[in-house]
Amino acid sequence: MQQFLDSLNATLPLEGYLVVGAVMFAIGAWGAIIRRNAVVVFMCIELMINAVNLSLVAFADYLPNAGGAGVGYAVLVVAVAAAEVAVGLAIALAVYRSRKTVNVDEINLMKG
Amino acid sequence: MVTAQTFVGLLPEIVVFLFSMLVLMIGVFSPRATGLTAGLAAFGALATFVTAVVLLAVGFEGSFFGDAYVVDGFALYFKLIVAGSAFFTVLAASRWSGRTGDAPEYLTLILSVAVGAMLLVSMRDLFGVFVAIELATIPSYALVAFDRTRRESAEGGMKYLLTGMIASSILLYGIVLIYGISGSAELADISRTFTGQLSPVALLGMVLLISGFAFKVSAAPFHFWTPDAYQGAPTSAAAFLSVAPKAAIFAVLLRIFLEGMPEAAPSWTAVAAVLAIVTMFIGNLFALRQSNVRRMLAYSSVAHSGYILVAFAALQGGGVERGVQAVLIYSAAYALMNLGAFFVIDLVGEEAKSYNGLFKTRPGVALSMAIFMAALVGIPPLSGFWGKAWIILAGAQSGSILTYVAVGALVINSVLSVPYYFGILRNMAFEEPVKGVEEPTGTGAVKLSVYILAIATTLFLFFIGPLSALAGASGLL
Repeated sequence: MQQFLDSLNATLPLEGYLVVGAVMFAIGAWGAIIRRNAVVVFMCIELMINAVNLSLVAFADYLPNAGGAGVGYAVLVVAVAAAEVAVGLAIALAVYRSRKTVNVDEINLMKG
Repeated sequence: MVTAQTFVGLLPEIVVFLFSMLVLMIGVFSPRATGLTAGLAAFGALATFVTAVVLLAVGFEGSFFGDAYVVDGFALYFKLIVAGSAFFTVLAASRWSGRTGDAPEYLTLILSVAVGAMLLVSMRDLFGVFVAIELATIPSYALVAFDRTRRESAEGGMKYLLTGMIASSILLYGIVLIYGISGSAELADISRTFTGQLSPVALLGMVLLISGFAFKVSAAPFHFWTPDAYQGAPTSAAAFLSVAPKAAIFAVLLRIFLEGMPEAAPSWTAVAAVLAIVTMFIGNLFALRQSNVRRMLAYSSVAHSGYILVAFAALQGGGVERGVQAVLIYSAAYALMNLGAFFVIDLVGEEAKSYNGLFKTRPGVALSMAIFMAALVGIPPLSGFWGKAWIILAGAQSGSILTYVAVGALVINSVLSVPYYFGILRNMAFEEPVKGVEEPTGTGAVKLSVYILAIATTLFLFFIGPLSALAGASGLL
């Protein structure tokens, strides 16, 4: 038993993080395509960005010469994503005021 | 290490940033001073332009922040384009934004986009590229959705925002994969990864990166947000967004390709050629069906992205130098003619009917519009012709079959685009004027910029010499 617990102490391989990141990205992209509520689409896109961020942090931790710079980038990415959502929710509110809906299928004044 | 030289290198960005904050603060403390804010914003854009001209004239060059930020002739040239179009946009936007009651916010957003675009062209680090692209795009979502009186505006903003955010995450994934495989995000280190046989991860990273960029420059099949965003946006915002950030994104894509992955040229020129062919055809075929002039110009801007991508496809063999020159010249030419065409919409209206008989009622505006339309088709000696000529020359020297095909498609598409550009001309010359359409008041600044842009479009021939000399000395080659 103790031997098994000790074996869990080994470092996880980089691939593990990357696969989780890729799966999260795919789920986010799938959701962004099939969901119709704009706010839920925002959440799916957030999932995509955070999946990328997970890969970024994993790379930064495993790369020999990165010197932790990748983690700094990850913080920047979080800030950028927050700014995007701030503008996004404001626009969603503006659409809701004029149309009383945020369903992306019903937002179809312009065509062609 | 930050030295005083760093501040000199960043001077154009610092100037435009300070003015944007000044405009915003004046808006907070005296919201009624719309004339003052518009004047300050225009002056700020002009001061930025002059700063970049001075830096270019004294031959200032240098790289800062550990080679992540570079100031060279190439970067300064695109800063000129961005600052110049910001200046004309602010002039043209002053009347409309004054009436909305939110003039300071609108002008600050335009200047913020300019800051992002100007930082972008100097970036040599992929994460810097990402942050600068976002700095240019996030305010532009707000710009598109700015017009509260039209429901299309918020809708266009919503569509632009959703696709733009997805594009950003795809672009970021590409950047992270390239960072992971190269161990660094700086272009000099990346070029060592993109040699010989590309690893699958590097290839995937490159494809994702190019897809993200294709979204941002509205290349087909990632163009579908463009017509809705430009139709919904206030006219001055659509004019600015179709010129300045797009030119900056093309510039940084050129830098990434030439500095970051020069040895992978066969792969990315092939991708650029295919994208270019699809983009040109989709842009022009959809533009043919439009009756709304603004939407027509949006599809035309898709087509013009395709033309510039042909120059990217030509960046191989003997076509590299000409190809870089073509991107530089086309960006300047396109900025002049497209800004002008959009501003005329601001003066006349977005329905094709409102152009009827314009030669009789308002000959000056009609003549300017005729010049812009002819330039967009590429009639010599107007500005668009020189851009296309340089692209064709570059393509002819590239020595690749796919690029020859792309150049052929460019010629075919120039012919395809004639009907919809000249349809406006026909309306202006041969139709009877619509009764009861009055000239909007207070359009002096818009008219002035339309006339200046029309004259510059006509006399572009005389800028070609200096521009191509500048392009030759741009530091990328």
